[in-house]
Amino acid sequence: MSWFRDVLRGIREYDNLANIGEIARRYFAMNAFDGVLTIIGVLMGNMVAGVEDPRIVVSTGMATCVAMGISGLWGAYLTEAAERKRDLDQLSRYTLTELNDTRIGRASRVATVTVALVDGLSPFLAALVVLIPFLTVGLFPAISLAYYTSLGMALLTLFGLGLFLGYISRGNLILYGVKTVIAGVVSILISFLVGG
Amino acid sequence: MGRIRRLVLDTLKPHEPSIIAMAEELSVLEGISAVNISIYEIDRKVENAKITIEGESISYPLVLEVIEEMGGAVHSIDEVVAGKKIIDDAVTLQD
Repeated sequence: MSWFRDVLRGIREYDNLANIGEIARRYFAMNAFDGVLTIIGVLMGNMVAGVEDPRIVVSTGMATCVAMGISGLWGAYLTEAAERKRDLDQLSRYTLTELNDTRIGRASRVATVTVALVDGLSPFLAALVVLIPFLTVGLFPAISLAYYTSLGMALLTLFGLGLFLGYISRGNLILYGVKTVIAGVVSILISFLVGG
Repeated sequence: MGRIRRLVLDTLKPHEPSIIAMAEELSVLEGISAVNISIYEIDRKVENAKITIEGESISYPLVLEVIEEMGGAVHSIDEVVAGKKIIDDAVTLQD
């Protein structure tokens, strides 16, 4: 078990050096929230357009999930790599040494990859959860029920994200949950009104 | 080959890794029995640390490797004691 302790110690050290945990938490909450709201838009678009074929909902939903995932992964990687390179270069100028091959440089690279993965996977997975009713559409007697269940799952996911944010801020969990759910409800209502 | 028994280094290092982590890593090197690190100046991004190391047989290359791996740089070697025992610098008339 000593290797496991070493791994944990290494992770903690990299986290201390590159502040990975805090940034990853922020990206996770922000992008999962984005993912759910985007997929609500896709669902409402399909619903008000009267799409009855679940394959169309799944294919448009999955394409959106993949696009959000790739966008998150790519965007966060490039942004984080640029920001961290700048920080490392600045620190190198202070210490008058090359820091790329030190623990600080390695922690910085690990942070970039971790944050990019969190940024890409969180909207992808959050949106995928909302699409589950359409992946198991055979269990529903009517497609409209799959739509309602999906929208319900979207609101539930948003509530879960709110609880997560409440837990992080050590604030009122329910209040945070309600705030995130309101964003989903507003999105559903506006999509419904715009779609006629 | 003579044995280095005490080393005093003037270093510049980033705030992280902390001097606690640095002292821990230096203290487990072979031939080292005690480490003292004290900060005497703090800047926005870096800090100046005086590192005092004592032991039976201190390997300077290994010490340097740990300091550099943690992002630090040795500015100067301020004191070295080598031999069979530790002696302090002799008091002279000029002192």
